[in-house]
Amino acid sequence: MIHNTLHKLSTFTHFCKNKMISRKHTSLIFVLLPILIVLLFLLNIWYGSINISWFDVWDTLLLNETVNNTSEIIILQYRLPQAITALSVGIGLSIAGLLLQTTFTNPLAGPSVLGISAGASLGVALVVLLGGIGGIKFVGTSVLFGDMAIVLASFTGALVVLTIIVFVSRKVGNAVTVLIIGIMIGYLVSSVVGTLQFFSSSEDLHAFILWGLGSFSKTTIAQSISIFIVTIAISLVTILFIKPLNAFLLGNQYALSSGFNIKLMQSVFILISGFLIALGTAFTGPIAFIGLAVPHIARTIFRTSNHTVLLPAVMLIGAALTLGCNLVSKLPGYDASLPINAVTSMVGAPIVIWVIIKGRSMSNA
Amino acid sequence: MHNSDKVLLKLDNLTTGYSLSRSKKVALHQNINCKVGKGELIALLGPNGAGKSTLLKALLGIIPSLGGNIYYKGENLHEMSKKEIATLVSVVLTDKIEDRYLTSYDIVGTGRYPYGSFSGKLTDIDKEKISNAFRLVDAKELIARVFYSLSDGEKQKVLLARAIAQDTPLIFLDEPTAFIDSPGKVIIMNLINDLVLVHNKTILLTTHDTELALEYASKLWLLGKENYFEEGNPKTMVEEGMINKLFVRKGIVFNAKSRRFEKV
Repeated sequence: MIHNTLHKLSTFTHFCKNKMISRKHTSLIFVLLPILIVLLFLLNIWYGSINISWFDVWDTLLLNETVNNTSEIIILQYRLPQAITALSVGIGLSIAGLLLQTTFTNPLAGPSVLGISAGASLGVALVVLLGGIGGIKFVGTSVLFGDMAIVLASFTGALVVLTIIVFVSRKVGNAVTVLIIGIMIGYLVSSVVGTLQFFSSSEDLHAFILWGLGSFSKTTIAQSISIFIVTIAISLVTILFIKPLNAFLLGNQYALSSGFNIKLMQSVFILISGFLIALGTAFTGPIAFIGLAVPHIARTIFRTSNHTVLLPAVMLIGAALTLGCNLVSKLPGYDASLPINAVTSMVGAPIVIWVIIKGRSMSNA
Repeated sequence: MHNSDKVLLKLDNLTTGYSLSRSKKVALHQNINCKVGKGELIALLGPNGAGKSTLLKALLGIIPSLGGNIYYKGENLHEMSKKEIATLVSVVLTDKIEDRYLTSYDIVGTGRYPYGSFSGKLTDIDKEKISNAFRLVDAKELIARVFYSLSDGEKQKVLLARAIAQDTPLIFLDEPTAFIDSPGKVIIMNLINDLVLVHNKTILLTTHDTELALEYASKLWLLGKENYFEEGNPKTMVEEGMINKLFVRKGIVFNAKSRRFEKV
């Protein structure tokens, strides 16, 4: 009897929560998130190992002439590109994660599972490690050439794996099989990387591991702006696919019955997300957990899976979370900051665990 | 001309089955020829493993057929886009929907996707069709509920509403009464019957509730093993003992008088 009443009560509160979150709260959160992003963005520019006054931040961003020269250089060459890159990659990885989770109707799908990140690291390993073994020095000879070589290698590696995955998905069609094949390709590629590491010099190994730790601080202002523009452009393209994305939530056969070409859509979604992952990873190294965690956070906050809400939500939350993580990584106050992956994992993993446990208890209630 | 207007679906020498590999194909039923006309309620009956779902999926283009042709309103399925098919036939399947946040309204809304623009925004016409669909299945109170939290019977009503909102002349239902309690089965079958009689739909359904299906169906498709396919009038088929022959099980017979399976 008591149990029954409790049950009724809990379904009632659940129902109320559902009602309350509707429209009014949704739009409120959509106003608050951009404010949070602007705040975090400014904090990222203001805070660092060298103190810069808010006036200098303000003047530099508004391109006023009166700025202290050192501050201007620090902001324009280091902190601003870092913040723009963090923001863009946060958006890109989150959208990629959402698309993959929807395509595979699997909550654990994310940038690292399809082997795309692993493909990127193979590309980099080939350039950094094999280059070293073969006596060609990419890293160190010329900073610019070395960096661009890494970017190109990572991009190529990611796209090669991506092409294989798209090909497999067109052949197979079954999303779970594609997912498993993606994970296996990831392992395969990692083993090649491991072998390369074994044979390489400690200096090259150091450079490779440094790339693998991930960092938003390796981009120039021009690069960061390009990443931003490309990311936003691709993100806007995804808006064209809101209907098929929603239909995929009901499973492949229902999506088909709603009039969508499943295999084609699946390839499109993998291609878009793969490109976003490749783009980010090329410039920053693999960034853990953002792509996996952000869609879960968005679904929990907005209590919906409808992509009309989720796509913009994921963009905003991804940007905010990544900027937040980047800020945390600077906190110790040393010259060097914490590896960004340490921070994103520390923040991301508990969030995913929490969301999954909460989701379970909710559905059991 | 007049004839092709009335024939919604035509199976022309259709062979269904599945492929084990590129060269190895297993045909379940060969050279099926039949037509589906407007206003029919067809029950597809047969024992487990006879190939009912395979036939249904082949008709929808979910899996390829192994031979022959399928025509919707005279147009070959192979030459139709997915979108075109979606405006002619809607479905309720046995697939589980795992998503935990979609509301019933979201689910029924996807029924409107074959129409309209790129964006997921629903037009006034869409909204009207959706609320009309909820009204027809008598499930207005479920509109704002999370689909995942509904009972199997309620889920079935919502999925039926999705098919109605899709506004197609044909509706295919794969085991619409499975996992539903007895009064629920009758409610669902009555809704289906109304769709045919009152709302001019043509329905093809598979079911294991043979006794219930015989009460409502205007035509039967019997699907057995070893290439057995037969269509006909339920009354005649019952009286000629065809149901009994279809389900061969030791010690159990189908009584043509009581229209029930009984122990010998």
